[in-house]
Amino acid sequence: MAEGKTIVLKIKRRAGPAEPARWEEFAVAWRPNLNVIACLIAIAENPVTRDGRNTTPVSYESNCLEEVCGACAMVINSRSRQACSALVDQLEQPIRLEPMSKFPIVRDLVVDRSRMFENAKRLRCWVPIDGTYAIGPGPRVAPERQEVAYALSRCMFCGNCLEVCPKVNENSDFVGAALLNQVRLFNAHPTGRMHAHERLQAVRGIGGVQDCDNAQNCVKACPKNIPLTESNNDVNRQALLDAILGWMLR
Amino acid sequence: MPVKAVATAEVPPEATVVPAAKPDRSYFWDKLHSLTGIIPIGAFLAEHFWSNSYALVSVDRYNQASYDLQTIPWRVPVEALMIWIPLLYHGFYGIYIWSKGKSNVTRYDYGANWMYVLQRWTGLVAFVFIGWHVYLERFLTQGKSDYFDVSATLANPLFLGFYVVGILAVSYHFGNGLWQFANKWGLVVGRGAQRKAAWAAGTIGVLFALVGLAIVFSFVFQWHPFQFYAQ
Amino acid sequence: MSETRIQLIGGGLAGLMAAIRVAELGHPVDLFSVVPVRRSHSVCAQGGINAAKNLKGEGDSTWQHFDDTVYGGDFLQNQPLVKGMCEAAPGIIDLLDRMGVTFNRTAEGLLDFRRFGGTLYHRTAFAGATTGQQLLYALDEQVRRYEAEGRIRKLEGWMFLSAVLDDAGVSRGVCAVSLRSGEIRAFPGDATIVATGGIGSIFGQSTNSVACTGSAQSALFQQGVHYANAEMIQVHPTAIPGEDKCRLISESVRGEGGRVWVPKTPHDARDPRTIPEAERFYFLEEWYPKYGNLVPRDVATRAIHKVVHEEGLGVDGKAMVYLDVTHLPREMLMRKLGGVLEIYEKFVGLDPCEHPMKVFPAQHYTMGGLWVDNETQATNVPGIYAAGECDYQYHGANRLGANSLLSCLYGGMLAGPAAVRYARNLTVSAEATPASVFAREQKRQEEIYDRLRNQEGNESPIRIWREMGETMTRHVTVTRYNKDLAAADAKLAELQERYRSINLADRARWGNQSLHFTRELGNMLVLARLVSQSAILRDESRGAHYKPEFPDRDDERWLRTIRARYEGGKFQFEFDPVDTSLIPPRKRSYKS
Repeated sequence: MAEGKTIVLKIKRRAGPAEPARWEEFAVAWRPNLNVIACLIAIAENPVTRDGRNTTPVSYESNCLEEVCGACAMVINSRSRQACSALVDQLEQPIRLEPMSKFPIVRDLVVDRSRMFENAKRLRCWVPIDGTYAIGPGPRVAPERQEVAYALSRCMFCGNCLEVCPKVNENSDFVGAALLNQVRLFNAHPTGRMHAHERLQAVRGIGGVQDCDNAQNCVKACPKNIPLTESNNDVNRQALLDAILGWMLR
Repeated sequence: MPVKAVATAEVPPEATVVPAAKPDRSYFWDKLHSLTGIIPIGAFLAEHFWSNSYALVSVDRYNQASYDLQTIPWRVPVEALMIWIPLLYHGFYGIYIWSKGKSNVTRYDYGANWMYVLQRWTGLVAFVFIGWHVYLERFLTQGKSDYFDVSATLANPLFLGFYVVGILAVSYHFGNGLWQFANKWGLVVGRGAQRKAAWAAGTIGVLFALVGLAIVFSFVFQWHPFQFYAQ
Repeated sequence: MSETRIQLIGGGLAGLMAAIRVAELGHPVDLFSVVPVRRSHSVCAQGGINAAKNLKGEGDSTWQHFDDTVYGGDFLQNQPLVKGMCEAAPGIIDLLDRMGVTFNRTAEGLLDFRRFGGTLYHRTAFAGATTGQQLLYALDEQVRRYEAEGRIRKLEGWMFLSAVLDDAGVSRGVCAVSLRSGEIRAFPGDATIVATGGIGSIFGQSTNSVACTGSAQSALFQQGVHYANAEMIQVHPTAIPGEDKCRLISESVRGEGGRVWVPKTPHDARDPRTIPEAERFYFLEEWYPKYGNLVPRDVATRAIHKVVHEEGLGVDGKAMVYLDVTHLPREMLMRKLGGVLEIYEKFVGLDPCEHPMKVFPAQHYTMGGLWVDNETQATNVPGIYAAGECDYQYHGANRLGANSLLSCLYGGMLAGPAAVRYARNLTVSAEATPASVFAREQKRQEEIYDRLRNQEGNESPIRIWREMGETMTRHVTVTRYNKDLAAADAKLAELQERYRSINLADRARWGNQSLHFTRELGNMLVLARLVSQSAILRDESRGAHYKPEFPDRDDERWLRTIRARYEGGKFQFEFDPVDTSLIPPRKRSYKS
């Protein structure tokens, strides 16, 4: 596209959780290297729809704008992804923006993803350390293991894997691939492993690992290329062994 | 406009203790569901295809095999425990699991997502087909079905069509089910292992479909390619 | 007496570390953050965290780290705190390691270290090229653990508006607004630790996150908290310019062997890969043979400015230089720098392993910040503490790469227990403070909001923000002339005037982001003026503060902390001596 062209965006809007949804169309002047966030800023600067009606700036979430914080996930042209890395030149127009559908809506493109963080509490997703006092170095870790753990630990709780999962919806309590991946991460850590049983019991709770039905959309949607299906399967294996051994040996 | 991530709590509650989640019975029932698909249902499916393959040898061998199975000791309790109860559980619990998912394959048309959807529909087709098949060949014949009963059924082109669809659905459901089992029980973890398991399970599914169709055609065309064994 | 309650403002590394320390001491914590804390700006830190663990047989020591830091900061730091930080660093790395940070490892399973700017030692521990993210996650998880134990209450989505000061000028809590419902509330707290990070937003496009507006610091400044060395702004040499922000390309790229160059011929239109070695100008290596590409950021940034603006050698004739890793093995690059090279590939669309990256300097860090004492991170207002990028300690006139994560954690570690000690010794607790004190502050904030919602005019907050950013970036970053600085300040004053004519398109309370942004914008403008006025005052060149009219460091006059106070709408400045008791100032040069 050349200078002087415009980009058309269709945005699904909602003034609040109880308000009706409506679509609004905007036109934004094209510039090189524009991403969806830059378009939303341009709309906020001049909140007028394509047909000349005054409206309000679009609410959306964002923070780092370089795809490490996870804030700006939304559904762009029917795909759940981060808006910061959605470059306009790579998108079909009109660019359709919708809020994620698997989380309670707050306003416009803003949703409430707090259930992911709540589930992280219920699944004990941390390494329980004795304290922040100077009590020496941590456990040694083989470089190979570090590389596996690092790939898992890049999860930014963006929620894309939940949004695309057919098993995450209002009928189910499934915690989602991101959380199963956390269980795997902490069970793999030398200290975290000491508390694996507690996590594995928790992950057999309501909405736990058993709800994964392996549609494998999660791994495709993950902006950080985390091997989520491997995590799902690994946690399945661990949870099962823990259940069987728990029944037979404990 | 630069807009921050809007966060969670609206009116902040006091700090509250959050205990770890407790294991739930649904874990057992879910695992039982996927296990029953392999044992005994999958195992019985293999046995069923095996004994029906006698049709590929000759009418007499088929009838003999049928007769042998129909005269096993403790037939009704064995059938109930090994077939009816697991099948009913697998079928109805499967529908319950289905009801907790919401397909989105129109948005995310990835291979594994299609397989997820197909697994549900083939499961339903297989369930209906098996029910009908059992009604025809087990109850209408008072448990004494033989080669000519089956041939008579398949002489009806509509019934034949349903058999072909049913066998394909069953084979897909079983083959993909094997792969699901390998994943859901953590038998495979790495992406390479997942892929290998997919190939293996897919091959088994295709083999089941081929054998199943061969048996059907054996009845339709009086086709007994292994007849020379009996000569 | 009820337990003392400590408030944390900001959920980045400093805030989380302080929260953990307070919770560990058994006191309830209220943790306020505008974003869910896992999304805080600390995630953007890429390269690593410094600690002189000396695991590479180089004879590194905490003293050497201390010396590098002070030298890199051009001697503007109060040295005892810096020394304390450098001595604590190895222990901090151990702590992070125990928390499960996925640091890169050596074959023996020990922590791996890489080189960074401003030092000759391998001193930087790292987790791929997303070290900040990994550190933040580790702390986030520890905080979540305390949260699940009922010891920390998170107020995510609540934005700090002001401190609640009683008649004696003692802080008794904070006033905050819910970004979602628009509700404004005063929360009692016995001590408050401010850890609200950087101020990049006043420069428009910077490498900072959206949340880094400096609004909290500015609000506190206007309430009487002193602000020091505001003029010390770090401009990172290597970023990708962007419409919405400038994306950082970490110094670790050079630490692992990346080289900066420009074609020797101006406007050389060839594909950079086809330009022969002899026709490339590796200006950093040529000008600074000892440190090469790893000179401190202020030096590298000025060199790039020189090569682009004075010698006209910018790539494609534009303000850009090449940062080249194409000579390095792809496997190593992906293992150690994957996270940052990924960013380049995603946002520029070229594979940096094959194509030299095009980069340019961008505003990155604020060395200056809220004034705190030399021991406990306490500000001059009783009950208010500051830690992390928002305080002014540790980095002097220029921060060395990979020292920021360290100073955040160290500041948080000091501030937490200090705030607890202070709160325990209070004779009157926040709970016992008359309700009228809180009601008064809440009403003041509600009135400000009502005014913004109802005012008429023809200005847009985004337009004012853009103009502020352009002004600041043009005049108050790398090269500073007093005439330009004065013009910038005048422009900012004009913007403050126009701010009163902002007409908000959205007047709702619920989820009204432009309303909250406009509230912050008012504070940003004050802070922007403070930065430019402080810059006008400092007539010398020191670290990141470079005035061609005063090209030398002037210890006689300016080995001083510029401490600003806000009185009756005016800035008052004081000039405090710097504690250089440990390392006497010497000439700073990275040439040999």
